[in-house]
Amino acid sequence: MIIDPISIALITLGGVLIGLGVHFIPVGGAPAAMAQATGVGTGTVQLAAGAGLTGLISAGFMYNFLATSGSFTSSDYILVLASGAVGAMIMITVTMFMGQLVYVYCVGVPPVSAKVDKDPITGDQQDIYVSKGTEGHGVPTVSFVSGTIGGLFGGAGGSMVYIQLMQIGNAPADPAIIALAGIFATGVFYVNAVLASYNIGGTIEGFHDPKFKRVPKAVISCLIASLLCAIIAVPIMGGVS
Amino acid sequence: MSAVEGGPASGGLPPNTIIAIGVIGGLAGIYLTMLNQTFNTTIFSVMGAIGSIFAVVWGADAVRRVCSYGLGTGVPSIGMVALGMGVVAAIFGLILPETGILPIPAILGPVISFIVAALIGLVIGSMSNKILKMNIPIMEKSMIEIAGAGCLVMMGLSASIAGSFAFNDAILPGVVSTGYIAIVFIGGAMTILHPFNANLGPDESQYRTLYVAVEKAALTMVIAGFASLTVIDTVSAAVTMLVGLLIFLVYFNKFMKSVHREAYKVVGTGLLPTAEELG
Repeated sequence: MIIDPISIALITLGGVLIGLGVHFIPVGGAPAAMAQATGVGTGTVQLAAGAGLTGLISAGFMYNFLATSGSFTSSDYILVLASGAVGAMIMITVTMFMGQLVYVYCVGVPPVSAKVDKDPITGDQQDIYVSKGTEGHGVPTVSFVSGTIGGLFGGAGGSMVYIQLMQIGNAPADPAIIALAGIFATGVFYVNAVLASYNIGGTIEGFHDPKFKRVPKAVISCLIASLLCAIIAVPIMGGVS
Repeated sequence: MSAVEGGPASGGLPPNTIIAIGVIGGLAGIYLTMLNQTFNTTIFSVMGAIGSIFAVVWGADAVRRVCSYGLGTGVPSIGMVALGMGVVAAIFGLILPETGILPIPAILGPVISFIVAALIGLVIGSMSNKILKMNIPIMEKSMIEIAGAGCLVMMGLSASIAGSFAFNDAILPGVVSTGYIAIVFIGGAMTILHPFNANLGPDESQYRTLYVAVEKAALTMVIAGFASLTVIDTVSAAVTMLVGLLIFLVYFNKFMKSVHREAYKVVGTGLLPTAEELG
């Protein structure tokens, strides 16, 4: 029985990073599917989970590569985190880019934000391009950058949960430990992503959206939820090995 | 996406009846797989999946009740969080007696999982209302129900695949190491979130939603049976698949009948017109 405070703290931190990352992702929900809101046309959880699970796979690959070949040092730890983050970033950017192609060339709308008059990054005029009766459309530059940052946080957070569980399991090549850590990381990921999406309540454009100011509430919620999950998960992983 | 009806769901069986059906049916199904050990066979694995159908009915009804208030994020999110909470609680409860940390008999595993799931659900539900200010009056109660149902579905399907709910002997090698746990996770989440998501709208009715719940749970049962082909023997897997298929056909039929009865008119649109027909 090991209640390792450092592992619990790191798993909790991972969960908080996931919750934070979700707020950066431009989620348009059903309105965006009809090009009536800025962002990608699906729900928060689907987008975050898609990116996060890809991050988990890339982190798992890197962890397996590094941990089975010898000792797992702290620089390896950062490498796995980076691998997970990059995996999630690639997934979310590809999703946003392909969505953008559909919005621009198939639906025929200019990517525009309805929440700000000028794009905070490029300084381009936004408000005159918003179609009447809509909340913007497509994925403007600021939302794209924001989404990529979201992938970074989400992927790093998910990987952190996974690495920590694998470290407690202490058997990098055992399929049972890998599957258990993977499914736990997925469970923690979903709990945090859903809590964050309840905080957002539908659609968000990115860090320039007024709704982004709600982040502290999500951080507190994710902290409590992840702490609870971590306290449960740590003895299990310790118990299996 | 958001079915903003802004009020409690009404009609049909009262919530407490469904809760009783879900809890008793779900736990009974999981415990009945113990007949496998008693009679030294694997044929009773099917009971776990049947138990999961009861739990799915409960979960889908709880989703129906909470989502009729309008979550703002779509129904799927709540199904995913159900199994997210459920999987953590299920594995914890099943493994705890076997680690020997606390002197608990292994037979209590599923009950511990269920209680832990309810606890996580309570925490998440109260945070949604108190911190995130979702202001859904039944959020706490529903989250407890959804987490509990998710946990029972998870354990029922796993016990059905592995033939037992003993963690280290059956579920770890049979469901976790093989990766079938991912199917159980997504399949279980789908069965809980899909029924209301498919039926929501002003003319949603409880029995039609629950027909879809039973039908989806039966389909997942077939998949679980298919997975158990490689874990337990062929005959038991075939029994699970056939029973699942039978339940699926019966309830899909019931669902289609209710759709035909309640729709104003059902017409076939035919195939899309070809270029010549349009020109």
